[in-house]
Formats: sequence, structure tokens, C-alpha cells
Amino acid sequence: MWEYRKLILVKDTNTGKETSGIADKFMFGIRERALEEKVEVIRAASLEIYNQGVVVKILPDNITYANVTKDDIDLIIHRTIEKGEKIEALLYQKTEKQCRVVLRNCGVIDPENIEDYLARDGYAALAKILSDYSPEDVIEQMKESGLRGRGGGGFPTWMKWNFAKAQKEVVKYIICNADEGDPGAYMDRSILEGDPHSVLEGMIIAGYAVGAQKGYLYIRAEYPLAIERVMLALQQARDKGLLGKNILGTDFTFDLDVRLGAGAFVCGEETALIASIEGKRGCPSPRPPYPSVNGLWGKPTVINNVETLANIAPILLKGGKWFASIGTEKSKGTKVFALTGKVSNSSLIEVPMGTTLREIVYNIGGGVLNNRKIKAVQTGGPSGGVIPEHLLDTSIDYENLQKLGSIMGSGGMIVMDEDDCMVDIAKFYLQFCVDESCGKCAPCRVGGKQMLNILTTISEGKGAMEDVARLKRISRAMQKASLCGLGQTAPNPVVSTLNYFEQEYLEHIQNKRCLAQKCSSLFVYEIIQDKCKRCTLCQRNCPVEAIDGNRDIGFTINQDKCIKCGKCFEVCKFEAVAR
Amino acid sequence: MNKLSLQSFKNKPAKASKTNPNFIKVGLSTCGIAAGADTVFDILKNELAKKEFDLPVLRSGCAGMCYAEPLVEVNIEGMPRVLYGKVTEEIALKIVRKHILGKQILNDYIFSIKDE
Repeated sequence: MWEYRKLILVKDTNTGKETSGIADKFMFGIRERALEEKVEVIRAASLEIYNQGVVVKILPDNITYANVTKDDIDLIIHRTIEKGEKIEALLYQKTEKQCRVVLRNCGVIDPENIEDYLARDGYAALAKILSDYSPEDVIEQMKESGLRGRGGGGFPTWMKWNFAKAQKEVVKYIICNADEGDPGAYMDRSILEGDPHSVLEGMIIAGYAVGAQKGYLYIRAEYPLAIERVMLALQQARDKGLLGKNILGTDFTFDLDVRLGAGAFVCGEETALIASIEGKRGCPSPRPPYPSVNGLWGKPTVINNVETLANIAPILLKGGKWFASIGTEKSKGTKVFALTGKVSNSSLIEVPMGTTLREIVYNIGGGVLNNRKIKAVQTGGPSGGVIPEHLLDTSIDYENLQKLGSIMGSGGMIVMDEDDCMVDIAKFYLQFCVDESCGKCAPCRVGGKQMLNILTTISEGKGAMEDVARLKRISRAMQKASLCGLGQTAPNPVVSTLNYFEQEYLEHIQNKRCLAQKCSSLFVYEIIQDKCKRCTLCQRNCPVEAIDGNRDIGFTINQDKCIKCGKCFEVCKFEAVAR
Repeated sequence: MNKLSLQSFKNKPAKASKTNPNFIKVGLSTCGIAAGADTVFDILKNELAKKEFDLPVLRSGCAGMCYAEPLVEVNIEGMPRVLYGKVTEEIALKIVRKHILGKQILNDYIFSIKDE
């Protein structure tokens, strides 16, 4: 129903800046032919296409041309605008890399209004299974779909459900694990904030399949908006008869409640999470028995991650076969990633399993920030590892990432460039795990601290050659002997950076150098007097007044006061600050 | 509120009654709010009220384009669906004045545009 004028959208996708005058030239050409009443030229901020030169999109014809030069302008106006023909040589076919299953409603519906969710087939899967499916049928569909846990472990969801279903107990529980704590990850938060009902529907279906009557959403207290919207969604679902007694007029009864996490990372581990809901200290306990046999208050309990649960309704609505048609042989469906770090477009994305890291970073993320060189991508947060540049073409699934020494994790994906020091990264993640270790078992409590001490000495340039072997030995001990996933995986960032970037560790130990200039003990900032124009910019920007001198005598950096924040280096317009 | 039953899903009308094709939508998740989307939301509402222009201003979750927050989606019948990004107070006013009242698409702030 297009009543609008024709639109020509222009964007230079290489520089990211103004469209190098091509928009103006289009405007000129349009005016020359007296078409300005019918055609409008607009500079776009983004056309979601990257590194394809000047891109021109014409609406409503929906024609996209890439690598357009000044010489093409007349041709485009003449043939496409006036005659309505396509110019084959310039055509650009965008292949859609994203595929939205979990995020189907995020950013589309009003999360605070259940009617919006209902209008987009919300709770239709629930109605379908309640009228047509037995609990066995539901589990059969889940088995066919091949859905695996999205919290990181990748355990087949149908098996968890089946174990719990097989228990003879009358009372069973469903828990939604929304204790998302990996640095740089916010998938679960966005799902709960953008489409809370999709998670509730998944939980109700899980309750029906395993025969549970009660469920809990364990959400971290740091997500106030998510909590608010989930509470509202629960109330609306109850009012509509989708929760509580006799759901949708059937004899199935199920209710949900919210429990808040107090900000402990270890509570994302399922046994610690259960302890926390029970009101105990959030410490993990040895498995088996697994929660599906002996979980919350000793009863069979299914614990699924937010993203896993958001997948349930579409699977049952469209069938397990449909879901299994997306993804790779062993990893079905899609995965949501929080793409952050040194990437142009920090974003929340959903791609089919099997997409390569390079496609994600360059075709969706728009490449590395400021066109720098990519060094590695970190996946899996503090339990994961780094994947170096030469392995970016690996397609993503649970097995492939594990082979590379990383894990799928919950979906944090941090892009790193040449300015990131791998020793520093390993130290950062290890510090996180040391802070978050519950202290119950010695390998994690002691091992983590010792590894952190070694990394600190290396980053200060005081490391010895034996340290590398020592790190590897403690890593192995932690991986083998820790009680829960936190301790077992805490050494992963160290192991994987050592594996791919051992040279960088040796550079710190032997040459006392940090090539990325991150380890501040290994360099000093100095002013090069020959280059200094005495503009005072560095002095004015120094947060600790460590720059002595004035316009007449010049400036020097007082190394005793300097905190090596790098501000002077950044602000100097004459490259007169060296490090 | 009326309770739903299995029947209400079976008797679902083939096409829901035609919804209003004209609306604006602001992404109001934590990522949007951190970038100032709640202010943009208020400004759009106030400005439309001031101009006595009847156009619903709706709320949505995160559309995934966190780098371009705050995001404002404008749907006006007969015009393409436009997603403006990095919307400031000033741009919000421009959207009302030029796009909504003047039917003129803005330069430089479009992050996605579709003809549907």
C-alpha cells in the first residue's frame, strides 16, 4: 500500500561516514530530470550491509545496489528510477544471517501486554498440547527437535524432562534458571524484558510434560526491570486462566512464582541454585543425584535456562521436525548471542547453529571497531576460552567450540583486537572466578587463588619460565577435582590463552614486554620533548596531576604519581606521548 | 478479565480485526533505557499530545540493535516502516515535526527501513 514517493537510500558502508557526496549527486540528477516530486533521496545511518562500498537501496521496488560509483548514478536514475529496470551488474543480494526463533517477539510486541503476545500465536502451543498431546507426545516432539540446554552444558532437554517424568513422586518442580552472570552476556535479560510470556509458556508446557504442579523463576536481583515485567506477566497469565487451577478449563493445574538471586555467580549452577531457593547458602553439592531425581526439597526438579524455555512453544507449535531442520547435525536450532567488545555493532543476535564466527563478526557485527585487526573472540564467559583469528571460520556448535578449547556457554561473545593482552584477559576472568568461588572445595578455592597470583606476577614482569608449567598443572587439578562446574571450568580462559597465545606469555616472562600495552607495570608514559608543542592538553586531562611543568619549560610525567591510565596518550594531537 | 479456554484458541478468527496501521514504537528494555529511551518515549508522547495528533506511542523490548539505542520505529500508513536509531531529544522532536506531521523521512538517522 505504497502511496509514498520513490525513495533512494544511500550509505557508504566502507567508511561509515557521510556518503562521500553521492547522495548529493543523486539529488542533483533527480532535479535535473525534474523528478523531485516523485523521488526522494535520503542518507541512511545504516542499511545493515557492511564493506560493500556505497550501497543504494531503492524503495518500494526493494532493489539494492552495492559498490556504486559516481559514474553509475546517471545509469541508476535513468534505468531503474525512470524505466523500472534492474541493473544486474550492480545488484546486491543480501543473505539473511539471522534467524529469529527465541527472539521472535523481542522488539516487536509490548512485553507488558499479554494481548500482544496472544495475537502472535502466544499460548497457542499450550492450548494445542492440552487438547491433543499426552505428556509422552510432548517429550517425543522435544526428542525429535533435538533441543539442547542453552545455559552452556548442552544437555538434551527431552532427557532431563524424561528423567523427571519417570520419577514416581507426586510433587515435582520446574525451575527457570535466570541467574545470568557471565561478564558481557545479557541474552536472558533481554528475553525476559522483551517477551516474558514466551518463557512462562515454556515452563507451563514443561510442567505438563513432567507432571509438575509448581515452578519457580530464579532471577537475579540485579535485573529489576526483568523482574517487574515477569511479575506483571504472571499476574496477566493468572487472570486469563493460563496459570493456576484448571488451566484453560482442563484439569491441569500449575502455578509459577519468582525467587530472587542475591548476585552470586555460583547460584547459576543448578545444585547451588536449588540450595538458594530452599533458603540455604548458595553452595553446590556433588551430583549424582541429579536434580531431575532429587532436586528442590528432595523432589524431582527440571531446571532449564531462559533461552531453552523460550524455544519450547515454537517447537510444539511447528513440530520437532521443523526445529531439527535448523542448525547442524548435532546442534539443532538457533542460538542467541550477546555480541560485544571491540565490534562495530554491539548487539543481541540470533543465528542458526553452524554459522561461523567470521560471519557473525563481519556480516552482522559490522566488523571490528575502527577497522582494526581482530585478534580473537571469547565465548562462554569465565568458563569459556578464546578462539584466535585463524579459527574464525569454524562453524559454531557445541562440539566444535569444545574442540577448540572453548564452550558455547550461555552466549556471551566478546570480540578482541590487537590492543587486548591475553595475559590480562586470563587474569580478568580468573579474578572473576576467584571472587565468585563459594569456597566449599579446595581445588577451586586454593587453586584459583594460586593461579591468579602467578598470572599477576607474570603481568608485572616478574614471572619465571616454570610459571607456565605451574599454571598448566594447577589447571588440570582444578578441572579434575573441583566440585562443580565453576571450579572445573575456571581455568579454561588460562588454558586456552596459553594454548593459542603462549608466545604472548613468554614475551611477558622473558622480555618483560606487553605488546598490547595493557599490563601497566611493563611500560611507562613519557613525553617526547622534540614533538611536544606545549599545548597543555595532557596536563589538563591528567586525572591525578602527574604532569609537571608549564608552557615555558615544557612538560614531564612524574612517574611516582602516574597511574598509567593512558589519558595523556589518547588526547595528545602531536604523538608526543610515548609508552 | 475473561478467562480463556481451549475453545477460545480453536475459534480464533482467521484474521484478527484490523489493527491501527499508524503507531510509533520505542524500545524500552534495559539497554534502551540506559541510552535514554524513556526520555525519548515521554517526549514523543508529550509532543504528539501538544500537537493534538492522535497516534499511539507503544513500548517494546530489545530489538537486538543495542549499538543504535534508543530506537524508535515509525509506522504511518502509505509510508515505509522506518527504524530510527540513536534518537536524542532533538531527533525525537524532528521525528514528530517532519516525519509524522510532515510525511517527510529524515536524513542520517535511519537504521532500518522496510516496505511492508
